[in-house]
Amino acid sequence: MTFLTLAQIAFLLGAALSLALRNNVHRAWAGVVSQLIGTTLTLVCALPVLLGDGELRATVPWSYPVESVTAHLDALGAFFLVWSLPMTLMGTLYAVGYLRPQFASRNAGVQFALLNITSFSFVLIYTLENAMVFLLGWEIAAVAAWLLVIWEYRSQKTRFAGFNYLVSTHVGFFVLVAAFMTMRSATGSMDFGSFSNFLRIPSPMRNVTFILLATSFGLKAAFFPFHTWLPRAHSAAPAHVSALMSGVIHKAGLFGLLRFTLLIGAPDAWMGWYLLAFSSLTALVGVLYTTAQRDLKRLLGYSSTENVGIAGIGFGLGYLGLSWHKPVLVALGFTGGILHILNHAVFKCLLFYAAGSIYRATHTVDLERLGGLIRKLPWTAFFFLLGGLAISGLPPLNGFVSEFLIYAGLLHAGAPSGIERALLIGTASLLALVGGASALATVRAFGVSFLGTPRDTTVHADHDASLSMRLTMCAHAVGVVLLGVVPAVALRIVRAPAALFMGPASAPPGSAILEAAGLLEPVAWTSALLLAVFLVLLVGRWWLVRGRYTKHVTWGCGYTGTTSRMQTTGTSFSAQFASSFESVLHFQRRERLPVGFFPESPGHLDTYNVDTVERRIFEALGEGQDFSTKVVARISEEPRFAFGLGLVVLVALVVSVFVRGDVP
Amino acid sequence: MTLLAVVLHVVALLASPIGMVGVINRTKAIWAGRKGPPLLQFLFDLTRLLRKAPVYSHVTTPIFWIAPLVALATALVSGLAVPLLGYAAPISFPFDFVAVAYLWGLGRVFVILAALDAGSSFEGLGASREATFGALVEPALFLCMGTLAAATGHDTFASIVHVGLGSSDRIATTAGCAIALFVVLQVESSRVPVDDPQTHLELTMIHEVMILDHSGPDLAALQYASAMKLTLLAALVAAVINPVPFQTSPAIATVTHLATMLVLALAVGCVESLVARLKLKALPQYIVVATVATFIALLATAWRLGSGG
Repeated sequence: MTFLTLAQIAFLLGAALSLALRNNVHRAWAGVVSQLIGTTLTLVCALPVLLGDGELRATVPWSYPVESVTAHLDALGAFFLVWSLPMTLMGTLYAVGYLRPQFASRNAGVQFALLNITSFSFVLIYTLENAMVFLLGWEIAAVAAWLLVIWEYRSQKTRFAGFNYLVSTHVGFFVLVAAFMTMRSATGSMDFGSFSNFLRIPSPMRNVTFILLATSFGLKAAFFPFHTWLPRAHSAAPAHVSALMSGVIHKAGLFGLLRFTLLIGAPDAWMGWYLLAFSSLTALVGVLYTTAQRDLKRLLGYSSTENVGIAGIGFGLGYLGLSWHKPVLVALGFTGGILHILNHAVFKCLLFYAAGSIYRATHTVDLERLGGLIRKLPWTAFFFLLGGLAISGLPPLNGFVSEFLIYAGLLHAGAPSGIERALLIGTASLLALVGGASALATVRAFGVSFLGTPRDTTVHADHDASLSMRLTMCAHAVGVVLLGVVPAVALRIVRAPAALFMGPASAPPGSAILEAAGLLEPVAWTSALLLAVFLVLLVGRWWLVRGRYTKHVTWGCGYTGTTSRMQTTGTSFSAQFASSFESVLHFQRRERLPVGFFPESPGHLDTYNVDTVERRIFEALGEGQDFSTKVVARISEEPRFAFGLGLVVLVALVVSVFVRGDVP
Repeated sequence: MTLLAVVLHVVALLASPIGMVGVINRTKAIWAGRKGPPLLQFLFDLTRLLRKAPVYSHVTTPIFWIAPLVALATALVSGLAVPLLGYAAPISFPFDFVAVAYLWGLGRVFVILAALDAGSSFEGLGASREATFGALVEPALFLCMGTLAAATGHDTFASIVHVGLGSSDRIATTAGCAIALFVVLQVESSRVPVDDPQTHLELTMIHEVMILDHSGPDLAALQYASAMKLTLLAALVAAVINPVPFQTSPAIATVTHLATMLVLALAVGCVESLVARLKLKALPQYIVVATVATFIALLATAWRLGSGG
């Protein structure tokens, strides 16, 4: 605990120094060094806890109304600290290279100070077990993230994105406050320990609290339909901030969900189904948006929604396992879900850093203007490809390991009856669609921006990523490969936090986890075999070709008058896929077509992919009652009454589920 | 699995794609009233390609020649996990079918990237289609494997396919999964009515257009990998509909399994000769057929599990 306190002091001192020093280079150093010290001190504390050396607990008396603050570092908090802080440190290192071109003109100290404050808030959120102080840490993280986002505050777009984020995150904050107030009024205390006494006993209020908590944490982690702030904020923020927000800061939402899962203990089955449905929808809608974005950073932002959905599917499965008393499902669900959080953090940061390096080189992240970057930015291209393969969950990289565990849980013969089994299998096939669409999004993003020839002659890519950016990406790439090829490492990291969920009921608490680990061993061997076969083929090809090859132009199918503008664009690449999901992926066209045989004025055509959900929300808010009248008017006269009756029955059912805790 | 069985499996894995392609092409030739190429023509083509020196476009990068190797490597490794001879596979572990599906995904991603690498608008079209249909067919494949796992109560590829024709209450499961797998076969290995492996100078093709720029050993690797995937999927369909249960007489069952695969090759050839290629717009609906078929199978299985049968 002393180390943690010292780490906090280091973070705050570093923040103060970054603001106080006169020179941007000194400010950067102050940020990096203090982060390094703080992170090391925290790791000294957290690593033993994560590897199973008991828990740390300290109580500090405090003034009214908090009375006393319990700091409690268990395996779950330690797990989140162990990667959040080093990755924030990496982000700071990347920021040095990324902000360097602006060092002469701007005061970058604020960015470094805020990164320190972010680390500071992580320690608060992940260790403190008091609602009041937890909310304080929550708020510090949110405001720091907002200030980090609006670095380019001169652009109106960025300011709008920032305020959008600020409002959304506070809506979530209020819901969280409501949940805490409910628990406070039931228990008379602000301590998580006493919350647990309330949450363990099934009651209508527990159900309400669960919904409030899931909503608030879902908003923080950008679950559908609360994701609308995220793509905007991510495309407006500097690359390191997008990376940290998407990969690290908003994982606090999932942490909150997991923390309160521990407090709930034995959830009802409906909570599991609720979480499963919520997460499946999130993963599906997230990935559909991912396939159609033009803005590379927006694309990556939507894919965060997809990935928290995948992790959430794991948690939903774990909930079901807890309520059905199936330790294997609990182990597979929570191990897979928690591991996916870590994996997502690693590859998503890698991808955002690569996108940032594209932005630094070309000053745009619009896919339709890029092309052929692999020649100019070979390092960035390699890292982006690696991250892209990992995010599609392809073997032998880390995304596959966690998705495999979740698949194993969904397809496992653990469900009590046929229809529940069928629902889980259906979820697995939905996850498969998500995987396929995510692969499409990856090849589209990588293929359009890095392969082929440049589409826009006004875009010049002059230099690859700077050394600090390259080092950061390299560290993440090592993580992507290591966690994928040697899953034993990954499992060692998530074993202790996942074991917390097994509860004391399961006889040897670790046995189900070990079973889950056993599943991954052959996967690792298969990956190794794949690499070996690939190497053999590589040698075989080298021997067959032996440098005998000729260079020629691309085969144009008899048509040679090509320009690079004729290459497949990002929009056309995903057009057919998007047309199958038109209700979500709505294309807006703005066009002025040329008139007559000899048009006098040139025409133009623009297509936009708009966030349908966001539009609908605004429509509903802006037009209020008219909106619902319009929707109702679309239903024809005859079934309208039946529909209304059905809605009434549905509301009655939902109310009765909340009140009684089960279906009547 | 004994060492002999492993050796047999590997030999079958390497040889049967050539036989499958030979039979399909011969069937098509007979329907067209031609004599047709020799059954081993695919082998001759491959060896010819291996001797050739490749031609690369100025636009391409190393991804262009790495991709065929990745495709072939994934096909080979996944082939070791699929019960090609019907009853067992050298690599067999719980939920290996998930790994197989993702290995195919890895191969597909690299082939698509290689197509985009050439910077040609034609190849980009093919790449986009392959990615789209690859993603759309994925749920049918997983639904099918999940259904088979639930119906048999097993969790490895080699054991879930033995759902059996024997009992009448399983007929819906077997039929649904077989139909779904056959459609998956047509999509994944680019056969009519999804794609036409013959015409590679049309705007309507998928797989062939992606590999327009590949030549020499690279082209050989791509074609071999594609034929291998076709064989593996045919082996799955054959194992599902094999009339002889493996538990009673492994030898006879293996023979009927191989015979069923042959029949499937004939079926693929007949479909290609008698049915026209579907419009690209209609393809998502065709893939939905597979999803619906396996969904019915899943419901039938769930109902049977629920009634304790």
